Amino acid sequence: MPGPNQAFVTLATSDAYCMGSLVVGKCLRRHGTTRKLVVMVSPNISREERLSLEDVFDEVIVVDMLDSRDRAHLFWLGRPDLGVTFTKLHCWTLTQYTKCVFLDADTLVLCNVDELFEREELSAAPDPGWPDCFNSGVFVFRPSLETHSCLLEHAKMCGSFDGGDQGLLNAFFSDWAIKDIHKHLPFIYNLSANAIYTYLPAFHKYGHQAKIVHFLGRNKPWHVPYQEHPSTEVPQWDSNGTLEKYVNLWWAEYYGHTKTHLDELTHELQDDEPIEQLGMLVAAPCSSHVDTSPHWSQPTTTSPSASHPHDPESVSQAEDREEKIPSESVKKPTLDAPSSSTCYQLEDMCSNLDVISAVEPGDSEKSELQEPQVEQKQEEDVSGAESALSEAESDAGRADALQESLEHRKRWEEGHIDYMGKDAFENIRIKLDQFLD
Amino acid sequence: MPLSRSISVTSLSGLEEWDEEFDLEDAVLFEIAWEVANKVGGIYTVIQTKARLTCEEWGENYFLVGPYMESNVRTQVELIEPPNPTLRRTIDKMNSSGCKVYFGRWLIEGSPYVILLDVGFTAWSLDRWKSELWENCAIGVPWFDREANDAVLFGFLTAWLLGEYAAQCEDPPHILAHFHEWLAGLGLVLCRQRHLPVATIFTTHATLLGRYLCAGNVDFYNNLAEFNLDKEAGDRQIYHRYCLERAAVRCAHVFTTVSKITAIEAEHLLKRKPDIVTPNGLNVKKFSAMHEFQNLHAQSKARIQEFIRGHFYGHLDFNLDKTVFLFIAGRYEFSNKGADLFLEALARLNYLLRVNHSQVTVIAFFIMPARTNNFNVETLKGQAVRKQLWDTAQTVKERFGKKLYESLLVGQLPEVSKMLDKEDFTMMKRAIFATQRQCLPPVCTHNMLEDSTDPILSSIRRIGLFNSSQDRVKVIFHPEFLSSTSPLLPMDYEEFVRGCHLGVFPSYYEPWGYTPAECTVMGIPSISTNLSGFGCFMEEHIADPSSYGIYILDRRFRSVDESCNQLTSYLFQFCQQSRRQRIIQRNRTERLSDLLDWRYLGRYYVSARHMALAKAFPESYAYEPQDLTSATGFRYPRPASVPPSPAHSLHSSPHHSEAEDEDETYDEDLEAEKDRQNIRQPFSLPNKNKSLEGDLPEKN
Repeated sequence: MPGPNQAFVTLATSDAYCMGSLVVGKCLRRHGTTRKLVVMVSPNISREERLSLEDVFDEVIVVDMLDSRDRAHLFWLGRPDLGVTFTKLHCWTLTQYTKCVFLDADTLVLCNVDELFEREELSAAPDPGWPDCFNSGVFVFRPSLETHSCLLEHAKMCGSFDGGDQGLLNAFFSDWAIKDIHKHLPFIYNLSANAIYTYLPAFHKYGHQAKIVHFLGRNKPWHVPYQEHPSTEVPQWDSNGTLEKYVNLWWAEYYGHTKTHLDELTHELQDDEPIEQLGMLVAAPCSSHVDTSPHWSQPTTTSPSASHPHDPESVSQAEDREEKIPSESVKKPTLDAPSSSTCYQLEDMCSNLDVISAVEPGDSEKSELQEPQVEQKQEEDVSGAESALSEAESDAGRADALQESLEHRKRWEEGHIDYMGKDAFENIRIKLDQFLD
Repeated sequence: MPLSRSISVTSLSGLEEWDEEFDLEDAVLFEIAWEVANKVGGIYTVIQTKARLTCEEWGENYFLVGPYMESNVRTQVELIEPPNPTLRRTIDKMNSSGCKVYFGRWLIEGSPYVILLDVGFTAWSLDRWKSELWENCAIGVPWFDREANDAVLFGFLTAWLLGEYAAQCEDPPHILAHFHEWLAGLGLVLCRQRHLPVATIFTTHATLLGRYLCAGNVDFYNNLAEFNLDKEAGDRQIYHRYCLERAAVRCAHVFTTVSKITAIEAEHLLKRKPDIVTPNGLNVKKFSAMHEFQNLHAQSKARIQEFIRGHFYGHLDFNLDKTVFLFIAGRYEFSNKGADLFLEALARLNYLLRVNHSQVTVIAFFIMPARTNNFNVETLKGQAVRKQLWDTAQTVKERFGKKLYESLLVGQLPEVSKMLDKEDFTMMKRAIFATQRQCLPPVCTHNMLEDSTDPILSSIRRIGLFNSSQDRVKVIFHPEFLSSTSPLLPMDYEEFVRGCHLGVFPSYYEPWGYTPAECTVMGIPSISTNLSGFGCFMEEHIADPSSYGIYILDRRFRSVDESCNQLTSYLFQFCQQSRRQRIIQRNRTERLSDLLDWRYLGRYYVSARHMALAKAFPESYAYEPQDLTSATGFRYPRPASVPPSPAHSLHSSPHHSEAEDEDETYDEDLEAEKDRQNIRQPFSLPNKNKSLEGDLPEKN
């Protein structure tokens, strides 16, 4: 059994992607993988994000992606995003493993996929946009310093035709399309979620077999509010509603594992994950009010959506962990049984979340963030372990802030600018002055 | 309120003492504008004419950066390999990372290098860049504003280019980036946000909001300090553009604008006082022959007179030698360009000339493109009739000449009564009858699409200037740009201007005003206002502008009616001048052209650049701002000889004879010599790149 020297590898280069990595790790664990889990994080990821990843992954490796000269180069280049490309290549340096499977942080594993380790380097699934190219969101590779330096050399010489890692890898492994069919992973291992609509009948026929969903494109699941009760109108980011299912699954996974963990805690199970993720759990399920239709200008008087946990500001609360044992009001979740079935039952998830939402009114009593929405919630009934929830509420506040920021930008995009209020140039000036001397 | 004098307008000569010893050896200049090799509006002219001088100063280290437009590149740019290895690496690197960057020479005077960025090719990055913009600056850009989205792409691409260039340099480079207008401004903001080693200059040629407010008939200059800027911009749906503009102004090391009046506007609408005013210049064409421009004036005037003969056929009851041609030209912005004021003044002038029984006729041309469907029949017929009369005269002349010749051959003096026979007379009578006309000569040369609502035509109807024979002021509205291929008035703009006597530009909003500047370098007097950049500049530098043929209306501190009276009196005075006085005045006007040459005005840009370098790289460059109090204001003095300007020597009688003028002492050479002394020798550049000049295809 080749377990210990094989690993799933993922990568997080920003706080948002940390959420994604976390989900990748959680669902792999939940589906009972026998391989190691490794996450590479860039140095800009905060300590507590790293800590939370450590709970799920066997190894959290900080990749200082570039030697100093190159970093300076990219800095002047003004394209920190290209750094991500080079960071990804770092997975070839994980020579403590003989074979690895790389999963992008925006993927969602739906069942056990350990069979991928039977494949050879470089196995990957075709890209829906250009099937003669592979999509670099899921691929099998063998770590090797030699390959790594060849890749870097290639990058330096030829660059990347699409400006990202996929272009580079496709140029490097240029015979993928024709040489060996065993290196073609079936599309179900890298189902591009937002490409579903391009061939909907095929999706209806084969979609249930999907093993890994890849949220390709600009709408990442963490950008999209969780729909506790599927709305009647189809949101604009999802032309036919299929994506919504996966997004909800993603959120379910995101919260669900925490729940599992909570369950383990309360039942003295053997896992050693910390309980800080409880915060997310509590912060989570208030999203049902978020309106995805374009009435952004109307402030929601109800509670805002949840999305982003893991606030760097929450460091200070790390010491309080001991007190954050959740209240008994959180019932044992029903979701923790590792399931190798192909699909998750959404209904289960919903009921599960209903349970979680029972805790919600307790948050934000001691809010440090002065988000008006949070304050509104304070009027609601307060119950439960308050100290445990203060972190939750700061997470919630941050999630709110991020969500708020997205909505805010969207209002600009639509030409609804609050130029007499918070968009006044004076505020923009303050923002600009932050980077001026 | 009187303005305190800013550095730039204090003195041309004062500048000379500044920082000529600047070492630009390892500095590189990028000049970035949306209108590089891409003609959209006036900034194209600024950059295109300035290029030669900047090339001379910076040589191989000067690069213009603009958007790639295929049609423009095909006609204006020769694509070549970048000779500079650093830049070659930069461009290769960018091209291999998913953008398209072109390099070449712009085929204009000076042949500057251009770097052209294909904005459309990188449109796939738009969303990513917009979210970066949002995170860093809290400015969003609506998806429906294509121009603003282009500005985002262009801004990120230029910042990328500059960053990549800095990264490719072995030694820490001294990069200077000069951005023009809001469309390029985002690049500047990003340079600062990414802390690139770049000294930045932002030049605004007008403010976004100013243009909108003025067009909206707001009492702009009296309320400058009172506008709620955010609200005005937001209400006009340009808030995001306005934010980009203000962000660039905020972030620039050095902020400049083109004139004193725009400086005031910027101070209030962009909330930053420009560090220096950089007026726009021209490349003055020097003729080898003295007074060649006077000859050109005579030639062009003759052609305009021909047109007038046709246009007014049947009503030629005025003396063309005593006809003065006035014109206004520019974009069709009725009140911003002052067409309203001009029409009103013409009506008053008509009255004045009539009550004074003046022999002078005034013909005012309006050259402002509007929506038309071609020439109207009556104007074309006019030219045809004139042609026919000309042909008839030629035929009769031939026959007359033949008879004369025959009679001389046989040794007889011709009998005059027999030289023309009956047939000739019939032909001539028929031709004369054909010139009969029932209607008045048309005001408009074209069929207007919005005839009934057109502001110029409506005003003409109101003031009643219909080209009738009693009117001393005639009006011709030519709602199309001039072209040398036109069947009506086959002259290009430059020829036309040379043929006129006076350009009238009573603009209310005119940040710089190339039209009067162009008149000046062609030796044609002009009327501008103290609300136009040109007017401010001239007022600042010339003690008695009107004797040099630069009339400056006060529209800033006077009411519209007072300004109109002032304009009327300028026009009336101008009509009173004798031919000789006009010639002398044209000579003086033409002598001012040195003042508008980039060789002089370029030094303001030089100062701005030095200022920016010193601010961004204080360890390498020092810049001592001139002590304001010690700078003696330089002003062009009164003309040396007794000024024949009507402003000072207005004759009591409008019927003074030409003989009177002869008494006036006027020594052209003496005057010109004195004026020459007042303008310093052409700007000699501290050119460190002279060794490279051999490579520059200046000979082309």
